[in-house]
Amino acid sequence: MAVSIIDLCVNCFACEPVCPSHAISEAKPHFLVDPKKCTECEGDFPVFQCASICPIEGAILDSFGVAINPPGSLTGIPPEKMAEAMAELQSH
Amino acid sequence: MQLPVLNNTPSQAEHGAKGGCSASSCGTTDNQMDSLPDSIREKVQNHPCYSEDAHHYFARMHVAVAPACNIQCHYCNRKYDCANESRPGVVSELLTPDQAVKKTMAVAATIPQMTVLGIAGPGDPLANPERTFETFRRLSQEAPDIKLCVSTNGLALPDAVEELSKHNIDHVTITINTVDPEIGAKIYPWIFWNNKRIKGVKGAKILIEQQQKGLEMLIAKGILVKVNSVMIPGVNDQHLAEVSKVVKSKGAFLHNVMPLIAEAEHGTFYGVMGQRGPTPEELQDLQDSCSGDMNMMRHCRQCRADAVGLLGEDRGDEFTLDKIEEMDIDYQAAMEKRKVIHQAIQEEMDSKRLEKAVKAQQHQQEPKLTTRPVLMAVATSGQGVINVHFGHAKEFLIYEASPEGVRFISHRKADQYCGGDTSCGDGESVLQLTIRALAGCEAVLCSKVGYEPWEMLEAAGIAPNGEHAMEPIEDAVLAVYKEMAAAGKLDEKNEAVRANA
Repeated sequence: MAVSIIDLCVNCFACEPVCPSHAISEAKPHFLVDPKKCTECEGDFPVFQCASICPIEGAILDSFGVAINPPGSLTGIPPEKMAEAMAELQSH
Repeated sequence: MQLPVLNNTPSQAEHGAKGGCSASSCGTTDNQMDSLPDSIREKVQNHPCYSEDAHHYFARMHVAVAPACNIQCHYCNRKYDCANESRPGVVSELLTPDQAVKKTMAVAATIPQMTVLGIAGPGDPLANPERTFETFRRLSQEAPDIKLCVSTNGLALPDAVEELSKHNIDHVTITINTVDPEIGAKIYPWIFWNNKRIKGVKGAKILIEQQQKGLEMLIAKGILVKVNSVMIPGVNDQHLAEVSKVVKSKGAFLHNVMPLIAEAEHGTFYGVMGQRGPTPEELQDLQDSCSGDMNMMRHCRQCRADAVGLLGEDRGDEFTLDKIEEMDIDYQAAMEKRKVIHQAIQEEMDSKRLEKAVKAQQHQQEPKLTTRPVLMAVATSGQGVINVHFGHAKEFLIYEASPEGVRFISHRKADQYCGGDTSCGDGESVLQLTIRALAGCEAVLCSKVGYEPWEMLEAAGIAPNGEHAMEPIEDAVLAVYKEMAAAGKLDEKNEAVRANA
């Protein structure tokens, strides 16, 4: 049972100091979770600490590989609105 | 309202002058600071971010040591970094405290005009207390002739005040966009607080309480506090006058209102959702009503969190990590050299300030015009003179001329936050965009104007003027104003003229 950080990570360091198990470390190209150390905050906090401060939707996955912060959940931007804006920009 | 004169008139505010107009003067910045206590005035009058004339002489730099953030703002996107980007919160290269100290000392030795070091991000400096404070601690010891500044969203501020008071901290900037949690919920979608992500009004309420508490604690410690606000039309624009009142009553020495920067390509909530920024006129109205008798920040360029150099320029490329690694800096020797140069700059600034004051006094003795005020745009690369070709101007300084004299109002970008494609956005040419940026101005003073822009400017009701090349800005603006008055152009109230200008 462990969370994982994927390549959407922007290396902002926010998660590293809040991990109660010191399971997160700086790495290239992005921060990584040591699955042997990660406890999913069991016994320390009722919510994942890393995923509670992470500003990037989809960057941290739970042990089933599901995004803990799905698209739109942090920025408040509806995913279809974001897709629309990005398509508009690419057409230029 | 009367024309202030350096050092021999009491503060304008004491004379009960109204709103932003009380800052009007030929002698710009010095007079605006007359109402400040001596201890504060001394700190700010040579600070490039506060003093309009000092920023032509002294430079500042930011070091990006603070990547983490503890809140989300709707005008910020942590993913973005582009070489053409110059928004706050954007950086190319993150530094360790050790690298930041090296870089600061390398820049200070190479650019002796660099007097101010700020930590502003790219996240929140106080959400990275170890990295931020180690940088401050070392610079206080190793480069004591550099002033230190820090910007924060305020959430972690109360816990940081004690540590901040131990270093060479010149002032703290808190970004306060609201004092109302309902409005806050429209600006801050969440905060990270006590090991939880807290959304909406509840999160905004905690943030606001922490900001206000931090402000009070800093004032109690005798640390200077500046408050920044982002003006977001339809969200907090009507509310910022209230914010201004609250923060000033608690002791903030300055309230700086900045325009929202929101473009879809930034990927921010406001950018994607089509929230517009304020027009130059809306911004100026609000700045006038918030600045009281001080408009010290009108030249703010909203620089990046890793900017190096004079305001509006960025020499960061000269000081990348691999380049500073090769530099061998003898800071003791550099400090000696810096001291001599700072003294020379100080003398030059003092003499220019005196010159301006004398001119202002002469102007006061001339028969007073009764004509309406006029806004003019000026193309300059600094040194206080008109010295840029219209087509080469990246920005214009906006001055107001009136019977009271000439005052600096703001700067407007000619190529709004984009250094790339010449026809980006909705297909307007750069020239059309530039002319649109000059809305409200009746003349543009530059060293030269080409034939095509000349015609387009005239068609837009802006008189092009290339007759004052290399002349001091205030003199030229006043001369053009007098010509307009003599030609009878200012007799009638012009609909286009701003009510309070």
